[in-house]
Amino acid sequence: MSNNMAKIADARKTVEQLKLEVNIERMMVSKAAAELMAYCEAHAKEDPLVTPVPSSENPFREKKLFCEIL
Amino acid sequence: MACQGLQKGETLESLKRESETLKKKLEEERNKLNDVELHQVAEKVEVLSALSIKTRRVLKGHGNKVLCMDWCKDKRRMVSSSQDGKVIVWDAFTLNKEHGVPLPCTWVLACAYAPLRSLCLIMNGYLGLDNKCSVIPLSLDKNENLAAKKKSVAMHTNYVSGCSFTNSDMQLLTSSGDGTCALWDVESGQLLQSFHGHTADVLSLDLAPSETGNTFVSGGCDMKANVWDMRSGQNIQSFESHESDINCVKYYPSGDAFASASDDATCRFYDLRADREVAVYQKDSIIFGASTCDFSLSGRLLFAGYNDYTINVWDVLKGTRATILFGHENRVSRVRVSPDGTALGSASWDSTLRVSWSFSTGSNYIFRFIKLLFWVNSRLVLEFTVAF
Repeated sequence: MSNNMAKIADARKTVEQLKLEVNIERMMVSKAAAELMAYCEAHAKEDPLVTPVPSSENPFREKKLFCEIL
Repeated sequence: MACQGLQKGETLESLKRESETLKKKLEEERNKLNDVELHQVAEKVEVLSALSIKTRRVLKGHGNKVLCMDWCKDKRRMVSSSQDGKVIVWDAFTLNKEHGVPLPCTWVLACAYAPLRSLCLIMNGYLGLDNKCSVIPLSLDKNENLAAKKKSVAMHTNYVSGCSFTNSDMQLLTSSGDGTCALWDVESGQLLQSFHGHTADVLSLDLAPSETGNTFVSGGCDMKANVWDMRSGQNIQSFESHESDINCVKYYPSGDAFASASDDATCRFYDLRADREVAVYQKDSIIFGASTCDFSLSGRLLFAGYNDYTINVWDVLKGTRATILFGHENRVSRVRVSPDGTALGSASWDSTLRVSWSFSTGSNYIFRFIKLLFWVNSRLVLEFTVAF
């Protein structure tokens, strides 16, 4: 009996959860996609993996004395 | 007795039917807004110029599979944990090892760097005895016995798969094989909130970027990715489109979307406001599972590590593969972009870590050469003037 009640409790929780998920506010994909694109474009220049920085400014490359001059 | 807890006319079957109806309704509501595909909108975006990201440093020192790595907020230190039972802190610029912390347990599954210089480790015993998450405050004193200062913070009833400090460093979020996630107070070790909803092991979690509020996303063996409210414990949104275990979830930098990497050999991209999957990153030639993923700073690139030893770099907007990184000699267990976005760190079962970054193109060399000529010229003029 208690096993059945546990299943019922679970099923009811699932139904409640689904009701919440169905009722959330949503945005059109076209609008959401446009905003994702806008974010990428706005930050592309600051992204060193998309817009490479010159080696002299890259903190990872080995610092040699000759390069220090440059 | 049998009807206790039931409302009028409700049976297990009727609840299940209601469940199915609601699932269909959810699908319909989501489809209503699917007016266009992301890659179609992204046709307007410039194609990425040929990426010159290459692996440039190899960090050797672990004796066995490296299971996890993370970057420190100072943008140059990395921490890694390995099946050899050691946790090593590396200086990624000089490749020096700063600390080596030996631990009593070989199953150190994950580690994360806290914003304020302490370290979090997950240790799981063979018999599930540990299942704990410990925090170690890191100091610069190399002689300090760090292992002795570790403090247990979190405890689950099965292995702990992932951990993350919240932005303040005072709380720790964990995901577990027991199917739940939990939020802990670091100082007292007290459980603050638990998150129930997954129906199988939770393998990964990621916190929303600080600006977007108190939510996090988790992914697991039930093939679902769930978004949670940290304060109420409520499951806000759920996405079920993967065809196998989700190994890793990661938020897009703006916090409006997240990506997931799965054993079904795909990575997928979900927009939270449109409440649906908006891209699938896959190729017929990619048949091995993806175990890890991370975004570049602008969110344009998604780096994903696979069980075929490669790292595929995806153009998030256009849905195509931008480039592929070779070098690891076994599965890639973790990829992480450094905090300032300059480099990609990757950890592998081949017991090494690698650091990759982008190389600027040739035109810079010409300018630098001209600058050098001017400098040499000015120095010669100075020498002659002094001599006379």
